[in-house]
Amino acid sequence: MLLEIKNLRVKYGNIEALHGISFGVKKGEIVTLIGANGAGKTTTLHTITRVPPPEGPRVVEGDILYKGQSMLKVEPHDVVQKLKIALAPEGRHIFGNLTVEENLKLATYARKDVERIPKDYELVYRLFPRLYERRKQRSESLSGGEQQMLAVGRALMTGANFLLLDEPSMGLAPLLMYEMFRALKELNQKEGITILLIEQNAKLALEFAHRGYVLDTGEIVLAGDSKELMNNPEVKKAYLGG
Amino acid sequence: MLESVIQNILNALQWGSYYSLIALGYCLVYGVLLLINFAHGDIFMVGAYIAFFVSTLLLGHYGFLPFALPKGLVLALTIPLTMFLTSCVGVFIERVAYRPLRRKGANRLYVVITALMAGLILENGNLALLGASRKNFPELLDKTVYTLGSVAFTNVKIIVILAAFLVFWLLNFIVTKTKIGMAMRAISYDRFAVPLMGIPVDTIIVFTFVLGSSMAAIAGILFAMSYPILDPYMGAMVGWKAFIAAVVGGIGDIRGAFVGGFILGFVEILVVAFFPSTFRDLIAFTILLIILSIKPTGIFGVAKTTKI
Repeated sequence: MLLEIKNLRVKYGNIEALHGISFGVKKGEIVTLIGANGAGKTTTLHTITRVPPPEGPRVVEGDILYKGQSMLKVEPHDVVQKLKIALAPEGRHIFGNLTVEENLKLATYARKDVERIPKDYELVYRLFPRLYERRKQRSESLSGGEQQMLAVGRALMTGANFLLLDEPSMGLAPLLMYEMFRALKELNQKEGITILLIEQNAKLALEFAHRGYVLDTGEIVLAGDSKELMNNPEVKKAYLGG
Repeated sequence: MLESVIQNILNALQWGSYYSLIALGYCLVYGVLLLINFAHGDIFMVGAYIAFFVSTLLLGHYGFLPFALPKGLVLALTIPLTMFLTSCVGVFIERVAYRPLRRKGANRLYVVITALMAGLILENGNLALLGASRKNFPELLDKTVYTLGSVAFTNVKIIVILAAFLVFWLLNFIVTKTKIGMAMRAISYDRFAVPLMGIPVDTIIVFTFVLGSSMAAIAGILFAMSYPILDPYMGAMVGWKAFIAAVVGGIGDIRGAFVGGFILGFVEILVVAFFPSTFRDLIAFTILLIILSIKPTGIFGVAKTTKI
């Protein structure tokens, strides 16, 4: 396993949000976490990226291993800088007062592999040609879908080889949504980028991912190949609309 | 008539320069932390005092140096040394006073109160350490008075104004063109996402305090060169005024803070030109209040919008 979550229990203040979950992601895989609102999906990603308390969750038990090493003591910026894990957060969190280009440039802030940066610009602009058209615009003037592309593009520009995507389809028109997932699939296949995806749209997520886990109120209740999950009657009933 | 207008404009620009340089520090820290750093006016005072001690030391007043350095060299050394030492004070305050609160997720109100206390500690610490007697700042530059017609101005006045513009130009370059400046702007918009870019937020915050404090240090030196009497409370009123100037300009924007400082300078001088000088602050602040009631976000300020 590249990333291994072991019996992870986390709290916000006194409220326990994850009750000891365990799962893993192998190198080159696309894994999805599906579940309803409040199931703990975003919390899981925030724990991995070490968002510090008080906004972030506090780990009370368990461990997160990356390449076999515990990453609980890693500083948030080092998750990106040293471990090369990048998050495209829910709600995008783009820097609206910067241009599209500046947003992408800022993501290269801490990169040491400077020679690879031009290639990554090319990659992002090829995946999302619209960002190239708008590169000089202040990013708050972009449409919601374009902002989402920027959030994903920015995560790529950090030079990460492990992407955590939190609801990348949110607010996207269906056509754009498929375009984005096609682009992500291509990244996974051609660049070998590992992806951990969170989606409300379970159908889309399971079509896209190799494997999946179902999270329900802070616990993993089901796990398996995407196909298996898609045909599972419980999943069908709860997440795929019957 | 024309002479007195020009004379007044020069005076306004001079006072505007002090306010602007200090207002920029308020603005930077506010942009990055959403904190109104009320200790900043006192950092200006600390800057002036540090400049006093550095320059008198270099002039050989305490006998630490076997020889006295020439005045020009002393000035050239005092500026960077003062900037450095004042930055250390600014960063120290952020480390011991603001950062622990931030780590605990304290409400911003408490941080502002802490800033007020930090300012009072600086003032009273100074008073306790150095006593109530005022310090005479040494003359580091031979004062030359130029006269054009009946307009008279000193070289110091011109230097103050030019220095303010130069510092602003430099700061503007840092904020708009460099990556660290970009990170500062990014933090002001969305602090959560900054570490996700691999950027250590604390480093950017420390850098911001270094910038703000060194500008306050420059203001302190320039002020002491023009008005060479230093006392522990010299930063209080100037600091408040600079803060108001920053708000009037639009506190989230360095152009706003810079312009706001000069607006305040002009308003003050203009009031004194027509009214008794005891009316100065009353009328000046009334005018600023009117500007704010018309445009609450300040002249350059814009309300932030987020897209869902």
